[in-house]
Amino acid sequence: MSDDVRPTIARPMIARPTIAHPMIALQGITKTYPGQTRHAVAQLDFDVPDGNIVMLIGPSGCGKTTTLKMMNRLIEPTSGRILLDGEDVTGVDGDQLRRRIGYVIQQVGLFPHFTIADNIAVVPRILGWDRKRIDTRVDELLHLVGLEPRDFRDRHPRQLSGGQQQRVGVARGLAADPAVMLMDEPFGAIDPITRDRLQDEFLEIQRQIAKTICFVTHDLTEAVKLGDRIAVFGPGGVLQQYDTPEQILTHPANDFVAEFVGSGAAVRRLSLLELSRLELEQISVDGVDSPNGHPTYRADAAGRAVAWSHLPGVSEMPPLVTVPLSGTVYDAVDVMLDMRTPLVAVVDHEDRPQGALRWDALVRELPTKGRRP
Amino acid sequence: MGFGEYVGSELSTLGFYAQQHFLLVLYAVAAASVIALALGVLLHTNELTPESWTRKMRVGSRETALLLASAALTVPSLALFGLLQPVLGIGVAPALVGLTIYGTYPVLRNTVAGLSSVDPAVLDAARGMGLGPVRRMLRVQLPLAWPVILSGIRVATLILIGVAVVAAIVRGPGFGQPLFTGLGRLGAVNSFNQVLAGTLGCLAVAAVYEIAFFAIARLTTPRGIRVR
Ligand SMILES: Nc1ncnc2c1ncn2[C@@H]1O[C@H](COP(=O)(O)OP(=O)(O)OP(=O)(O)O)[C@@H](O)[C@H]1O
Ligand SMILES: [Mg+2]
Repeated sequence: MSDDVRPTIARPMIARPTIAHPMIALQGITKTYPGQTRHAVAQLDFDVPDGNIVMLIGPSGCGKTTTLKMMNRLIEPTSGRILLDGEDVTGVDGDQLRRRIGYVIQQVGLFPHFTIADNIAVVPRILGWDRKRIDTRVDELLHLVGLEPRDFRDRHPRQLSGGQQQRVGVARGLAADPAVMLMDEPFGAIDPITRDRLQDEFLEIQRQIAKTICFVTHDLTEAVKLGDRIAVFGPGGVLQQYDTPEQILTHPANDFVAEFVGSGAAVRRLSLLELSRLELEQISVDGVDSPNGHPTYRADAAGRAVAWSHLPGVSEMPPLVTVPLSGTVYDAVDVMLDMRTPLVAVVDHEDRPQGALRWDALVRELPTKGRRP
Repeated sequence: MGFGEYVGSELSTLGFYAQQHFLLVLYAVAAASVIALALGVLLHTNELTPESWTRKMRVGSRETALLLASAALTVPSLALFGLLQPVLGIGVAPALVGLTIYGTYPVLRNTVAGLSSVDPAVLDAARGMGLGPVRRMLRVQLPLAWPVILSGIRVATLILIGVAVVAAIVRGPGFGQPLFTGLGRLGAVNSFNQVLAGTLGCLAVAAVYEIAFFAIARLTTPRGIRVR
C-alpha cells in the first residue's frame, strides 16, 4: 500500500477456495454512447464466477446499469467480448439470449395492461410452458417474494404499491428459472424492514438454487450482506476494485474506494461484518473437553449457555452475555460496552453457543471465513 | 307540408340515406385506420428511414411525414372531390377515396402519439425479457397505445360524417344528396324539409357512432389501463 494515491484498476486477484469457472466474463469491454466523448464504461475486465453474487456499486452515473445491460446485450459494447458460460455471445441472437437471462430493471417496468400473474408468466409463455406448469410457477414465485397469490394474481400493476411492484419485478425475472440473473437495484423502493427480510430470503434462496447473479445497489450494507464479491465502480465507468466484501472494507485498493467505503469508517465496518462470517474463538461446554486453552461454559438442559466456567487468562469471571450469530460485530461491541465484559458468546437461532468473540480480537485483524460452508 | 309529415312520407328514402351515409363513413374510416395504423407503426419504429441516420434526423423525418399528412386536411373538401372526379368518375369510388384521405391523418397522428406515450421502462423490460420487435408491438405497444388510437379513429369518424355530405358533389351516397338537392332549389316545395332532414340525419348517424365508440372503448381497453 505504498503508492496507493495513484488510482489503479484492481484486477480480480483473489482466487476463491473453490475455483468456480466464470459464468459471465467481460473482456476489455468499453462503451461510449453515441455523441459522447466520455466513456460510460471503460476497459472493463470482469469475471463473475458460477453461482456467485456479484454486487455492482458506485456513485450515480458510473456505468452500473450500462454494464448490466451489456451482459444481456440490451446495449452493444463499443469494443470487447462477452462470454456467457464460456460461449462468446457477442454475435448470438439477442432475444434468444435474453430469455435465458433473468433481468430485473431499475424502473420495474411491469406491463400495466397485464395482470400480475400474466406479468410473471411472460417468458414461460414464450418458452411454451403448459398452463398448469405456469400457474404453479406463478404461485410459487408470488409466495417467494411475499405476496399472497390469492390476493395478487389477478390484480393489475397500478393496484400495487411501488415496493410490491418491485417484488413482482423480481418474481418476473426469476420466472423461467434462469441460471443467470441481472438485477438493477431490485430492492430500491422497499422499506428497510421488508428489504432486510427480502435480503435474508434472497440469500436463503441463493443457498438452494445457486444462481449467478449480478446485482446493482447503492447501499453498501446491502452489497456487503449479499455479495460474494463487490465491484466498486468510479466515475467514467472505471472499475476501481473487485474483491470480496472483507477485502473491500479492510483493504480498499485506492483513495476512491476508501472514500466510498467511508473514511474513518473503522466502526462502520464493524456493522457491515456479520458474526456468522467471522472465524470465532472456539468454546465448549463444561466438562466435555479438557479446558486446555479455550473457554468453557456451563449449559442448561436445553443446551443454552448460562455462565462461563473457565476463561484462560481471565481471573474474575464476567457475566455470560450472548449475541446472535445473525448479528454484526457492531452488535457484539455494543453488548460488550454495555455489559462491561471483555467477551461475548455468539449463539445460533436456538441459543446454542457457536463460539466467542473477545474485545482483544477486535483490535487485531478479524479472521473471516468464506460465505458458504 | 310540415317537417313531421315530410319525414313520415319519405321515411324509407331517409332510412336508405342513413344506411348509405353510415356505411360510407364506416368503410372510409376502416380503410383510413388500416392505412394509418400501418403507416403509424412504420413511422414510430423509424422503419422508413435508413439505420445510418442520426436519431435527430429520424425524429425530424417522422415529424415531416406527419406534417405532410396533415396538409391533406387543408385541401378544401369540395376541391378534393372535384380533383378526384376526372380520375375516379362519379359515385361511390371518389367519395370513398376522398373520405379515406381525410380520415387518415387523425388516426395517424394519434397512432404515433399513442405509441410514443408508452413508458420506456415497460419497453426496456419487454426487451430485457427477450420479446422481439413484433411481439413487443403486438403484445405491449399497440395494446397500451390503443385508447389513444381509438380516440383518433373516433375523431376521424366525426370529421368524415360531415365531409361525407360534400361527397354528394360527385354523386356520393348519403345525406349529402337531399341536402344538396334542397339547397339547389331553396324556396321550392319541401326544399327546406330536405335540408333539415339531411342535417338532422347526419346528427343521428353521429349519435349512433358515438354510442358505438363508447361501447367499443369499454370492451377493448385492457382493464389495467382503463380510467374509471
Ligand atoms: N442511452 C444513453 N445515451 C447516452 N448516454 C447515456 C445513456 N444511458 C446512460 N448514459 C450515460 O452513461 C453513464 C452511465 O449511465 P448508467 O445508467 O450506466 O449509470 P448507473 O451507474 O446505472 O447510474 P445510477 O446509479 O444512477 O443508476 C451516465 O453518465 C449516463 O449519463
Ligand atoms: Mg442505473
